[in-house]
Amino acid sequence: MRLVRLIFGTTEGAVGAVLLSLLVFIALFAPVLSPGDPLDIAGPPLLHPFSMARLPLGTDSLGRDVLAGIIHGTRTSLTVGLAAAFAAIAVGVCVGLAAGFSGGLVDEALMRVVDAFQILPGFLLALALVSVAGASLPVVVLAIALGAWAAPARLMRAQVLSIRERDYVAAARVTGMHPLEIAVKEILPNALPPVLTLAAVIVAAAILTESALSFLGLGDPNIVTWGTMIAEGRNVLRSAPFLSVLPGLALVVTVITVYLVGEGVTQALAEGKAGQVDRQGPTA
Amino acid sequence: MTAALRLIRRRLATSIPVLLIVIVLTFVLLEFSSGDAVDAYLVSIGGGDPAVAANLRHAYGLDQSHLARLWLYLSSLARLDLGWSVAFERPVADLIVERLPNTLLLMGSATALAFGLGTSFGIVAGARPESATDRVISTVSLILYAIPGFWLGLVLNIVFAVKLRWLPSAGLETIASGRTGWARMLDIAMHLALPVGTLAAIYMALFMRVMRASMAEVWRLDFVTFARAKGLSHRRIVLRHVARNALLPLVTMLGLQSAAMLGGSVVIESIFAIPGFGRLAQEAVTQRDTPLLLGIILTSAVLVIVVNLLLDLVYALLDPRLQPSDRSA
Amino acid sequence: MGLMRIDLLSRRRLLQSASALVAATALPAWSRAQEAKGGGRLVVAADSEPKNLNPAIIASNGVFFIASKVVEPLAEASYTAPGGLAPRLATAWDGSADGLSVTFRLRDGVKWHDGKDFTSADVAYSAMNVWKPLQNLGRVVFANLQAVDTPDPLTAVFRFSKPTPLQLIRNALPAVSSVIPRHVFEGTDIAKNPANLNLVGTGPFRFAEYRPGEYYRLTRNADYWGKDEPKLDEIIYRILPDRAGAAAALEAEEIHLAAFSAVPLSDLDRISKVPGIQVITKGYEALTYQLVVEINHRRKELSDLKVRQAIAHAINRKFVIDTIFVGYATASTGPVPKNAPEFYDPEVASYPFDTRKANALLDEAGYPKGTDGVRFSLKLRPAPYFNETKQFGYYLRQALAAIGIEATLVNADAAAHQVAVYTDHDFDLAVGPPVFRGDPAISTTILVQSGLPSGVPFSNQGGYENKALDAVIAKAAETIDAEARTELYRQFQKIVAADLPLINVAEWGFITVARDTVLNVPDNPRWAVSNWADTALRS
Repeated sequence: MRLVRLIFGTTEGAVGAVLLSLLVFIALFAPVLSPGDPLDIAGPPLLHPFSMARLPLGTDSLGRDVLAGIIHGTRTSLTVGLAAAFAAIAVGVCVGLAAGFSGGLVDEALMRVVDAFQILPGFLLALALVSVAGASLPVVVLAIALGAWAAPARLMRAQVLSIRERDYVAAARVTGMHPLEIAVKEILPNALPPVLTLAAVIVAAAILTESALSFLGLGDPNIVTWGTMIAEGRNVLRSAPFLSVLPGLALVVTVITVYLVGEGVTQALAEGKAGQVDRQGPTA
Repeated sequence: MTAALRLIRRRLATSIPVLLIVIVLTFVLLEFSSGDAVDAYLVSIGGGDPAVAANLRHAYGLDQSHLARLWLYLSSLARLDLGWSVAFERPVADLIVERLPNTLLLMGSATALAFGLGTSFGIVAGARPESATDRVISTVSLILYAIPGFWLGLVLNIVFAVKLRWLPSAGLETIASGRTGWARMLDIAMHLALPVGTLAAIYMALFMRVMRASMAEVWRLDFVTFARAKGLSHRRIVLRHVARNALLPLVTMLGLQSAAMLGGSVVIESIFAIPGFGRLAQEAVTQRDTPLLLGIILTSAVLVIVVNLLLDLVYALLDPRLQPSDRSA
Repeated sequence: MGLMRIDLLSRRRLLQSASALVAATALPAWSRAQEAKGGGRLVVAADSEPKNLNPAIIASNGVFFIASKVVEPLAEASYTAPGGLAPRLATAWDGSADGLSVTFRLRDGVKWHDGKDFTSADVAYSAMNVWKPLQNLGRVVFANLQAVDTPDPLTAVFRFSKPTPLQLIRNALPAVSSVIPRHVFEGTDIAKNPANLNLVGTGPFRFAEYRPGEYYRLTRNADYWGKDEPKLDEIIYRILPDRAGAAAALEAEEIHLAAFSAVPLSDLDRISKVPGIQVITKGYEALTYQLVVEINHRRKELSDLKVRQAIAHAINRKFVIDTIFVGYATASTGPVPKNAPEFYDPEVASYPFDTRKANALLDEAGYPKGTDGVRFSLKLRPAPYFNETKQFGYYLRQALAAIGIEATLVNADAAAHQVAVYTDHDFDLAVGPPVFRGDPAISTTILVQSGLPSGVPFSNQGGYENKALDAVIAKAAETIDAEARTELYRQFQKIVAADLPLINVAEWGFITVARDTVLNVPDNPRWAVSNWADTALRS
């Protein structure tokens, strides 16, 4: 795909794509790279890194393998990040499309709802929802998505409003295309790209939010999450700082990766659009 | 001027339904959760029996239907009464007035510091895109933005408060020190240095990146080419033309940040034991204290609306070509 | 302003030249307010922020921690006094032979903080209007209290409608008998009285100030009845909800003391080596917390005794003590802890760690392993109140997996956990931390007796019913003779250990970490929640 080539054209995109593939590889093959349940007690507690070959990154205060935790935690972070972003964008796109296309009272009403969700502090909303509904992975994803869907909705609506007036849409209408068909075939493909660049930001924010929630004790206890590892490492921060530092580093690397990919996509789209402008002429 | 007034009036009109939606959402969230304020209370006192629980529920009006409670809340709100906090045994308004200034001080200072530093670095980076300085600043900002705030807070606390003893490790001020005036302000400043520093480091990265990105875009615009053709010095172009126009998206960012203010403070206030709004909200959730949480969310919502309104007016000032409503499109 | 600054500077020079303080421990400028002359100001970490501080209504450790310095009980636990009970507001107590009355002789010359005299009328008021009807623990202990006679201002006679064992009353006194002033509460709505926060008591300290979210402040009661007491001038409870915050504040010398294991167990080894800090394990003997696996007997598999025995055999108590509690706990043998020597019976059924036996029992019970190695699944709810209960939840999950039981952990916050376990019964296994308060009748028998309505926290909500056990409990509640009563509670322990309504895993007290300038810690087995008249700061 041309887009992929453009992404690799930029340094950010290239580095980001490589790192992302590495992370996805780790996430997909976690059970192979680190067999067994990462939450199992693997050895003596509070073992320092590089002191035992079998447990290269040491163990936590219960004796669980830190390396296994970091490897399997990649799954959690990426899953939550991608799922939350997907949900937020899916809902946002639908609402934005509906609002932008319908106009009038429906538009006003939907925009008020979007306003409400944008005003509600996202993290607090997530905190409240997870606290009351119980901390499990689906609930965390839902909680994060609820705080994030408003921005894509607003952006989508703005896109729709501007594209709606373009010539090719008018042309489609004149030829008698059904409004829904116009929405999906003409407007959506052109409106989507900027919304997608928002995706990287949402994924990164979702990963950080999930770790903050786990840090506050609201993580799913049946899976490994980096935030929970940092929270538990906090009790021994002075004597075993590696327990908090290592998952923290993993988080930083993951978020940076997502950002780099996002930057790459943004730049690629900008260049692609520049190319398009030249080709389409004055109507764009 | 009339445009501004029209904007204000229109904003106020749309705010009412928004606030109503916010109230209903928060109410539904807490009321349909598992356990209510009395259950939370029983946990804190280590037990109780159903008779005690039933009495308490009746005393706090928790045995009424959800709709009745919502109606009661809305009607007292119409009288500007924020209700009674079950968890703290005090009027909600008192708690808010007590805790809000601390968080405003914390977040205000952090945002101001981040804005100042972020825009400066962003300008330096964006003045010469793709240069070595730009690369360095961009990389640093990327790393800073990726660092989880709670982790940074922990590390800074250990380094500066416990190991080096340069700054206090927790609290807002020295307990019962009886200080007043400048001495008190200095004391509070020292206590807030670490939490503000942590937050500012994270937010700074955000402002830095936005400023740089918008500067990069502005460079390509017509009037910059024109200015360069006129022979203006590079520095003058940067400061007078590019930066000023690049500020616009930053103003938007500030507006969005204000909504995140309350959430962002929760973890930091927890780590540094600052008696602030964020922690109060967390307490409200743990104690299932609906009136308190509603009061907090409402206050935050009103603040966000006001801040955004002010920023819209600033936006119009910065660029008279645009309508104020364009910012929020 | 300028003068003050000069004053501070010369003070600083004075302090620095004084060789008493080693340079390494010189306090930074902003904490100088905590250095004290004379009695001194003790700064203590508080991790909870009770809104209602009245210990007569709320007999909980969180409240006692602050309030017991202001409001005193009739008697307090003691290491040395006869019967383990030292006189406070009551100087002597005696029970009638028929168990229908208990007579207290009260202390003379005690004044309330507002100057009025303390008399038996206050005791009568507290007992009849607060302990019996309103207090969470008092409702059990004083269930049969009929009236309190006050023949003279220094005598109170408690009269019961049914024979009530003196042994129970005595053991309960430190926790349930906080006396509040009648003249402040009578005629008011007790629940809403402002004196629930601005306490008026007889204790060594007066309530001075509460800054929400920041601290509580108590000041010296110069008119205290105890000679040369209190030794401190002020106590400040600094609210530090974050456990890591307490350890950091202790090392940064911002606080003097952190009780109730505010410093995490895993950090104790490191912090004990920091100069100027002492780790104190004594002082919590009368406040034993128990790590218990609560079982929902409504679940068919769990109603089978063999299954319960298998689970008991699957738990490696040594691991729990050594790793989760870092050695600061003991293995439990039954519902009564070892440090209650009056009642403790070691001769009970035991369940040593034996995975093979556990697997065999499950096979016998008719639950074979499936092709994936799983016999059946369970929902496991660890209580979120302590780090140790949560960690034990993780451990138990793995221990159960080793015998083919797949446990799914549920992470809920305090209120949700409470409702899920004790009201909705939405659990199969739960991990809970009940407290043994000196006598099994206070808060231990309720864990296993049947017939309780749902919604009672820390009670038998697993649907367990054992008529023989209920009979023993009921009889013991009425037996006056101390020896006979003790014997009944030995039977109680034997039945519980054999039939496993719940599984007792470990019992623990808390740890206090303090700077070594704090003296006389601890001086009784309930030190943290008793008055601190004797506590001093070395200057």
